[in-house]
Amino acid sequence: MASKAVKSVKNLGVFQKPGLFDKGVGALLPEAYRKFYKEWKETEPSAVHYIPEEGKWRRDELTGEVQPIQNAPIPLTYPKEHNSHLWGGEAIIQGFQLRNKNSRRVPHFWVPTLKRSVVHSEVLDKYFSVIVTDRTISLINSNYGFDHYLLKTPAYDLKSLLALGLKRKVLKELEAGCPTLKDQPELQKEILNKYMKYLNAYTSDEIDWYGYSFTEACRRIERKIEEQETIVPLKHVYRAQLIDKLRAAHIEEAMTQSLKSSESGLGTTWLQKMNPFGKKKTT
Amino acid sequence: MWRNSLNVLSKATFQQFLLKSVCQKEQIRTTFILKRKYAPLLSKKGSPPKKLKARQHIYELVKDTKLEKRPNIDVILTSFVDGLGNIGEKVSVKPQYGYNHLILPGLAVYATSENEEKYKKYALRDDQVKYSSPNALLMIHALQRMCLSVIMNREHVWTLKPWHIKVSFRKCGYVVPEDAITLPEKHIKGPDMNLENKEFYVTVTINKSEKVNVRCILHHWSTDLVNRIPHIDKFWELPLEPMYAEFKDVLSEIPKKSNNVNNNTI
Repeated sequence: MASKAVKSVKNLGVFQKPGLFDKGVGALLPEAYRKFYKEWKETEPSAVHYIPEEGKWRRDELTGEVQPIQNAPIPLTYPKEHNSHLWGGEAIIQGFQLRNKNSRRVPHFWVPTLKRSVVHSEVLDKYFSVIVTDRTISLINSNYGFDHYLLKTPAYDLKSLLALGLKRKVLKELEAGCPTLKDQPELQKEILNKYMKYLNAYTSDEIDWYGYSFTEACRRIERKIEEQETIVPLKHVYRAQLIDKLRAAHIEEAMTQSLKSSESGLGTTWLQKMNPFGKKKTT
Repeated sequence: MWRNSLNVLSKATFQQFLLKSVCQKEQIRTTFILKRKYAPLLSKKGSPPKKLKARQHIYELVKDTKLEKRPNIDVILTSFVDGLGNIGEKVSVKPQYGYNHLILPGLAVYATSENEEKYKKYALRDDQVKYSSPNALLMIHALQRMCLSVIMNREHVWTLKPWHIKVSFRKCGYVVPEDAITLPEKHIKGPDMNLENKEFYVTVTINKSEKVNVRCILHHWSTDLVNRIPHIDKFWELPLEPMYAEFKDVLSEIPKKSNNVNNNTI
């Protein structure tokens, strides 16, 4: 408790920089997306390029000195292209090599070896030609299938938008009960039995918002808001306002008029009136 | 600090639904595994990790797992595969071959406990086509493709026996036991120059189960140089007549090598 109090005091008067979800369209995003984003971007991926030391303390064999173990992960970089590939947790490492004891360090990039291969999704009943690493294939093999690999691996290890998008599709397909396999009911049942257990970890809202990048999610929510709004022409608004005012003034003609413009005949355009072949809508 | 705590939290929640019963194997690394040459500075308890210095970005290669041999994977065959096994058999293959040539085309599935149970039934069923050995189909194709030259004596009287065929096979590099060779019912006797360069067939039984008809051609040979018939180059490509009319049906069923060759060249 004491440390908490100290912290809050420390933060007093310090400007808190607004985060991604505190301002603009980001603030409109649902909790389901925020959860995914936290899992995807703000969690340390599992160690692929280094072997983390186990335990809390290490004793020096020679001196007997005890030191804490703090695993500082190797910084990884993900290029733009990796979003359309499946790298299976691998990434690019930028660093230095010390090739000779007496020479200066040399910059070096450790880049994963990529190859084009095919992955097969049982749930979607589709084959995908994708660029993968050997690690991806061996992970698929050790997980006994691409679907198992996708569904079992958390977002911080899948990393690429392609993998996350596929995972969303698989989850959605499972949630809907595999409609693509309608013609083979036996296979459908078998696959549902096999993969249904993975659905327990997600709510349907979380599945809906899984695997979008931040900008994609923003565009999506913007579009959703736009769809919900119905644009009413101003002439209809002004007309209703005018009629209201006239009614307030107890003018008899206004009493018989409807507030809705569609019933007054304003809804039909002047062009429809002119067109001898155009039929008037009967509603 | 909050970042670390989040890490711990989310990993714990994930472990809840990661069922360990199904295929939780040790993590596989097929990539560069590096080590820092200079260890980063230790940070105080509760404070964020210290900023890395340039020299802490100097890495040493511990292992490049791409150069290491990867362990085999176990698969269960869903159909007969040449040189591997019958349906329902569990085989251990190299991972790349298994993935590209068995799993992706649907010839096999991963050897999970569920799949093992599922394909146990298939292994016991009789209506599937089964072969006596993984290489049986390969052998059948090889024998069907060949045209065996049976060379007999031009001077002494003979009746064709299985051991003649055995010797002819041996000349081509095939070791065929005598009891596996069945001759046609009609006896072939010689020397008879009417039979020279004519086709007949023998039946070879592989592992006492699969029967294959092999196309043969009779040639005569003499120790006397004058009587010796000149060798015909690529006799297997020529259109030849059957020795007897009875053989015609069987011989027409055996795919002929010459046809394939011609088709390819055209």
